[in-house]
Amino acid sequence: MIKEFFEASTALNNKYVTQWKKNGKKVVGYTCSYVPDEVFHAAGILPFRIRGFGATDTTIGDTYFGPFICSLPKCMLQLAGEGKFNFLDGAIITPGCDSMRRLDECWRKAGSDVEGVIPSFFFHYGVPHKYADYTIKWLTDETWRLIAAVEKHFKVKITDVDLKKSIKLYNYSRKLLDRFEALRTLDAPPFSGEEALAVILAGTTMPREEYNVLLEQFIAKAEKSPGIKGRVRLMLVGSANDDVGLVRVMEGEKAIVVADNLCFGSRFYSDQVDEEGDPVFELSRRYLGHNDCPRMYGDYRRRLKILAQKVEKAKIDGVIMQNIRFCDLHGSENGLFERDLEAKGIPCMRLEREYGPLVETGRMKMRVDAFIERIKQRRAIA
Amino acid sequence: MRNETREYKFDWMLWNTFAAASRLKNGTQKEYQAMLKYIPYFKRIMETLLGTGEPGQKFIEICSKYLENLVFAKEKGKKTAITTFCFSPAIFYAMDIIPICLEVLTVMMTFMYKRGTAEFLDYCNEVGSTETSCSSQRGAIGAYLAGIGADIDMFVTDTPGVCDTNANAFSFASAYLNKPFFQLDMPPDLTGERSNEYHREDFKALICFLEGQTGKRLDPERLKENLRELAKQDEIIAELEDLARIVPSPVPVLYNLMVSASKFLFAGMPEGTSLLESMLRIARENAAKNISGLSGGVEKLRAFFCYIDHYAQNMQFWQMLDGNGICYQGNILSHFWSNNAPHVAYYHKEEVAYTIDMTDIDSLIDSLAMINSRMPMIKSIRGPYDAPNMWLEDTLGLAKLYSADLIVYNGTPGCRNTWGMVKLLARDTEKAGYPTYIMYADAFDVRVQSWEATEERFMEFLKVRRLV
Repeated sequence: MIKEFFEASTALNNKYVTQWKKNGKKVVGYTCSYVPDEVFHAAGILPFRIRGFGATDTTIGDTYFGPFICSLPKCMLQLAGEGKFNFLDGAIITPGCDSMRRLDECWRKAGSDVEGVIPSFFFHYGVPHKYADYTIKWLTDETWRLIAAVEKHFKVKITDVDLKKSIKLYNYSRKLLDRFEALRTLDAPPFSGEEALAVILAGTTMPREEYNVLLEQFIAKAEKSPGIKGRVRLMLVGSANDDVGLVRVMEGEKAIVVADNLCFGSRFYSDQVDEEGDPVFELSRRYLGHNDCPRMYGDYRRRLKILAQKVEKAKIDGVIMQNIRFCDLHGSENGLFERDLEAKGIPCMRLEREYGPLVETGRMKMRVDAFIERIKQRRAIA
Repeated sequence: MRNETREYKFDWMLWNTFAAASRLKNGTQKEYQAMLKYIPYFKRIMETLLGTGEPGQKFIEICSKYLENLVFAKEKGKKTAITTFCFSPAIFYAMDIIPICLEVLTVMMTFMYKRGTAEFLDYCNEVGSTETSCSSQRGAIGAYLAGIGADIDMFVTDTPGVCDTNANAFSFASAYLNKPFFQLDMPPDLTGERSNEYHREDFKALICFLEGQTGKRLDPERLKENLRELAKQDEIIAELEDLARIVPSPVPVLYNLMVSASKFLFAGMPEGTSLLESMLRIARENAAKNISGLSGGVEKLRAFFCYIDHYAQNMQFWQMLDGNGICYQGNILSHFWSNNAPHVAYYHKEEVAYTIDMTDIDSLIDSLAMINSRMPMIKSIRGPYDAPNMWLEDTLGLAKLYSADLIVYNGTPGCRNTWGMVKLLARDTEKAGYPTYIMYADAFDVRVQSWEATEERFMEFLKVRRLV
């Protein structure tokens, strides 16, 4: 079963997407966890989280983006330019961060240079950077604008009833992922961090109904597993990571990643959508309200609290704070986390990296090993 | 950071530097000349500024006054707010809060001191901020993070939705220093009822925040007075911009910096107006005589900078332009969007301009919200660069209006926003017939690329493109 998750999380056009397309159905990609999947699900469209995974260079990305830009959107554009996203019928860009929001123009420009590079439906979804009554209203209107555009382009109708069904389905998924998260934090977690990321990532690339079935089976099996013992328990936080290989490198033989705070990770499924109220409003409220991303400025204390709670709950031995170069949002917040968590006696390690093929494996491995060594020495002294 | 650097409050040092500079011309010319040999590090910057006559003197004086205000704010019982250049300080002055504009302080230190802000830039990294963050904020904020600046009460920015690294610097510093934080968030669209309402509600929330921090209610009469002065400043700027369209331009190259300074330091305050009036007098005189504002008197080229200046020590950037007969047609920072600005009339962009309406408190707040949402950078680079009213349209519009021969981009490696699409912009401006040069320097940190290398590459571009 884990094989299914790995396949779905390590191949862009995976078998679920292929089958979906074979059935004549549409797929719309999006770049940020602030986009409500439920809208697409309600329209009978497969929401697909756009990734940069698998890009082996950034020549196309570098043609459009400037040099001081995060390599994640460059890799996304690279894949688009290479035709790897040709299965997408649409794409949604958000102002998740400045590098990511400029993917909008760069992709459009690439699309005007080379035919077929850009999907026919291309939408900029403006997500505010703060949580207040008027910002929720903005996002609600923006979601209505998105719904109208989807309806018009794909000639579908998204009703409140459909939206409520989708919300229910995704909420069930979130509940399952909460159970999954609880297993992950056991003293003897039944699966590795690499496997955990594969399970979570798969949810962003396959139909939700099938995902829930697989997830139920996976959890049932995991609950009976004896678990993995004797490893240093790590938490991984920071910039987006959609590469299970990165976690594998960090875990090695000595460690296990038992918690994360990544937007491709646990941030993606935290919080339920209220099923009672107006569905568009409730979706907007939930998606804007999960302020775990540093793009929501001025909310550091809340994020620190969440992180500290996770550290305690998962009995974390050390936190790895990684950021992709030029990701100032996570990079700087990692600096604050490091200061405040170290003050509480929690060992932290900051790591800057490039997104993309794991060309820095040796350097990363050496640093993580040294960090694990530090944790072990600390334990021995204690 | 060196121990010596920690010996004095950095803003107190800077104030003393400007205060001393403002008195240099108090004596005779002979005394001034005699004094210059005792200030070798400051000789060139003094000559550059004071060489512009009265406006240069007034510029130094308002910088000194601004610094004095922030250094002695606490002694006078006033609150201080760290803010950003693209946030109109009008609301702070109306609420008796002393604004501390990070980028302005960084610029002052960069062009004034030989060492620039290097130690403060690096200090930010030492305490956790990324080295790739924008140097315009890091330069001054490093000093505050190190505890060698005036006491701060709050952080207020308006760049979320416009510039991540700017907003992030404020968010980081407020968390680091555990001070209250407020952000005005900018939606991707500038115009339309949705955006207007958003700006309005956000600004009302700001006023609530400021009232909470100061314990005082917003005084509409004081705000009116402030906005009246702001309208006066806008009229002067509009006339200066009109004059700059004349060939040869009667406006000296340094005036663009002084226009920005007057608005960023003293929007709606008489100090800013006084500087602008002085500039206008000279520009009018030059226009009446039909002479160029360039010191050489011959205008060879007209350059429009689509982003920002370069603030290397001694204002070498402006010296280079002036020395080479290049008329500087301003940049994104020196063009404002009041309804009387020539570019507003010329391009029929009334809906993007702001109007100052003092009918009642609601219209006053609306006016402030509109002013802020149309500040340089906030207006032009919030949405897709090629969307209506955004960067491409503004760049081409201004370049055409001012008869520019070329367009130049200069910024900082920290600017994720513009580096995300400047190559696309350059393609479009080249296509529109403007030779476009992208500088790879850091406007605030010559350690990234020395000024000499920056100048050489720029001049090489002019030669290669047969512009000189």
